[in-house]
Amino acid sequence: MRISDSGELPYVAHLLSEKRVVVCCGAGGVGKTTTAAALGLAGAMLGRRTLVLTIDPARRLAEAIGAPEPRGALLPDSTDGRGRARAPVPIPEERLRAAGISGTLATWMVDPSVVFERMVRRLTTDEAQANAILQNRIYRALADLVAGMQEYTAAEALYGFVESGEYDLVVLDTPPSRNALDFLEAPRKLSLFLDERIVGVFLPGSGGGVLRNRARQVAHGVFARIFGEGFFEELQQFLAAFSGMFAAMRSHAESVRTLLKSDASSFVVIASPEPAALAEAVHLERTLTQEMLLPFSGFILNRSWAYTRGLFSPDDLVLPKDASRVDHAALAKLEQLAAAELRLAERDRRLLADLRAKSPGAHAVATPQLDGDIDFAALLLIAESVTVAGSGAEDAVESSRR
Amino acid sequence: MTGSKLDDLFARRLLLVTGKGGVGKTTVSAALARVAAATGKRVLAAEISYTSPPSEEEGVTLTSPLAGALGVPPLVDEPRHVEGHLYAARLSPLAGHLAFLRDTLPVAFLADAAMRSAAVRRFFHAAPTLAELGIVYRLLHLLKETHAGAPRWQLVVCDLPATGHALALAQVPQTLASVLRAGPIHAAAQEGLRLLRDRTQTTCVLVSLHDGLRKLTIDCARVVLNRVPPNPFTPEERAAVMRIVTDRVRTLGARRLPRIDRAEAAYARLARELRLPVSAVQEADDDAVTHVARELGGAA
Repeated sequence: MRISDSGELPYVAHLLSEKRVVVCCGAGGVGKTTTAAALGLAGAMLGRRTLVLTIDPARRLAEAIGAPEPRGALLPDSTDGRGRARAPVPIPEERLRAAGISGTLATWMVDPSVVFERMVRRLTTDEAQANAILQNRIYRALADLVAGMQEYTAAEALYGFVESGEYDLVVLDTPPSRNALDFLEAPRKLSLFLDERIVGVFLPGSGGGVLRNRARQVAHGVFARIFGEGFFEELQQFLAAFSGMFAAMRSHAESVRTLLKSDASSFVVIASPEPAALAEAVHLERTLTQEMLLPFSGFILNRSWAYTRGLFSPDDLVLPKDASRVDHAALAKLEQLAAAELRLAERDRRLLADLRAKSPGAHAVATPQLDGDIDFAALLLIAESVTVAGSGAEDAVESSRR
Repeated sequence: MTGSKLDDLFARRLLLVTGKGGVGKTTVSAALARVAAATGKRVLAAEISYTSPPSEEEGVTLTSPLAGALGVPPLVDEPRHVEGHLYAARLSPLAGHLAFLRDTLPVAFLADAAMRSAAVRRFFHAAPTLAELGIVYRLLHLLKETHAGAPRWQLVVCDLPATGHALALAQVPQTLASVLRAGPIHAAAQEGLRLLRDRTQTTCVLVSLHDGLRKLTIDCARVVLNRVPPNPFTPEERAAVMRIVTDRVRTLGARRLPRIDRAEAAYARLARELRLPVSAVQEADDDAVTHVARELGGAA
């Protein structure tokens, strides 16, 4: 059995016991949410007070059309019976203790409107200003929209919970999107939008030089023409009400960035064995390390066939002497399936090696291919598989092949 | 070649290929576009690309999965020839915004000047929904383009991003139309809504894995079940396997049986319940577009 690369704690266990923030990045469909939940569980196994933040726009839509999808046991208590919870919901301690887990675990599906409202109330000085913002039609459209705000509120919620001191570890499942790093751009993008030199152009009133006034006239002309005069006024009201908060929001966005860049955070890229997901994983790793200079620590290859420990081959099955033609045919086909499975195992081990080679110093571990719905037991299995030594899964099939 | 069994889809102008991340939307989009082009239609395969912030426009390459699937260099705003009747382009907010301003402002140079203004560009880039509107607008533009009196693109096959952003995209016209009660954006949003809602012109193809689809939450014309594991056993052989193999959890090969069973059950159930065509695409070692095109299009 392979001991981890460092010869000490396996890398995932190391992250989960040392860091305050672990961010799971990856293309959609690679099993990010499942992995985030399993990492949270593993954090609790290591004795930490852990929170898993997830984002699920599909569920939001399902709720909007009145047909919530069954969640299974993945995030068993993230609703409180009245719909979405407004705060993290702890997994019952009995359940954790029964599984021999000493830490705590809570989950929350980030609700952008809750996060935004909290932020508005925190940053405004009086009730009237808060209400003016919260009731503005543009604000309501902003807060309700799935894209954009979701990314921003995820970052905002993450920061809030880390600062609160209630949790030792926050695991964040980033929103599903093709550009999986949108979430990291969100605070910066928002601060770009809130740049007073830009917003100022839209704000009514005087101030600034001749150039600024000129810019304001052009912007007013263009925007009144394309958005309609009424909207422009509403936008101005919105921005005027919001403008008191800009400085605080910008410094907040800056703090989020500082936290994510610090030693207290770590980024893990989740991939699945499909070529597109792998290409995306390598692209993400490069962006994280080379463009954004964020603390990347390694890959997790999900749903991999690389695990063959304890399995044996159908070649070793002995048919009775009176076996029928059908028995022989069935066994031959089973052997073909087994051969295909072994090819996949080899492919996945090669993929792990490739991932390590592409990013020197990076770790790569695999999680097993699990059948059926992911329930609490399956999450435990994944949590164990990523935190024990030897999850490089290089062990061969025990029984030798003829 | 004519008479594809996907003619019901190809009679439309716009096919939106949607589904959760990782189910093979891009491969299916590329395959559908190829099969459609093989029937003699002029087809544009399109992918949505959120362009980088204005300050980084140059030198930032985003991944272009559709280009990868089609085997061509990364896609750009202007449609490029792929093969036969097939072309490909990306749909970016920036191209949409420029087109929008050109259509809205009295003179073209004003639009270009407006887009050169940092304030306007940043606003368009950063304001939520405007990026999506840009994409929808660009799509409308492409669909309205004509060539020698006929539509330049008879069919646009659009590879939507993973569900999250796809939802935002679908909601955009409605949100904008409700926030902006008048003006050109309102009009553009209304036009976008009309196109997206007209079932004779637009339809969705939902791509799913067999264990990922519980019920349909979107209105679509066809479901593609991707990567369905093939079942090599006759019923008798299957019974023999169950007899011979006692430890089915730890025997290589036998571990695949539950997946095969679930896939068959799911396919039977969906074909029965959905009341719309379900195409099953068998799992292959590689996810090649050619394989999916063959499975989807029958011959050809």
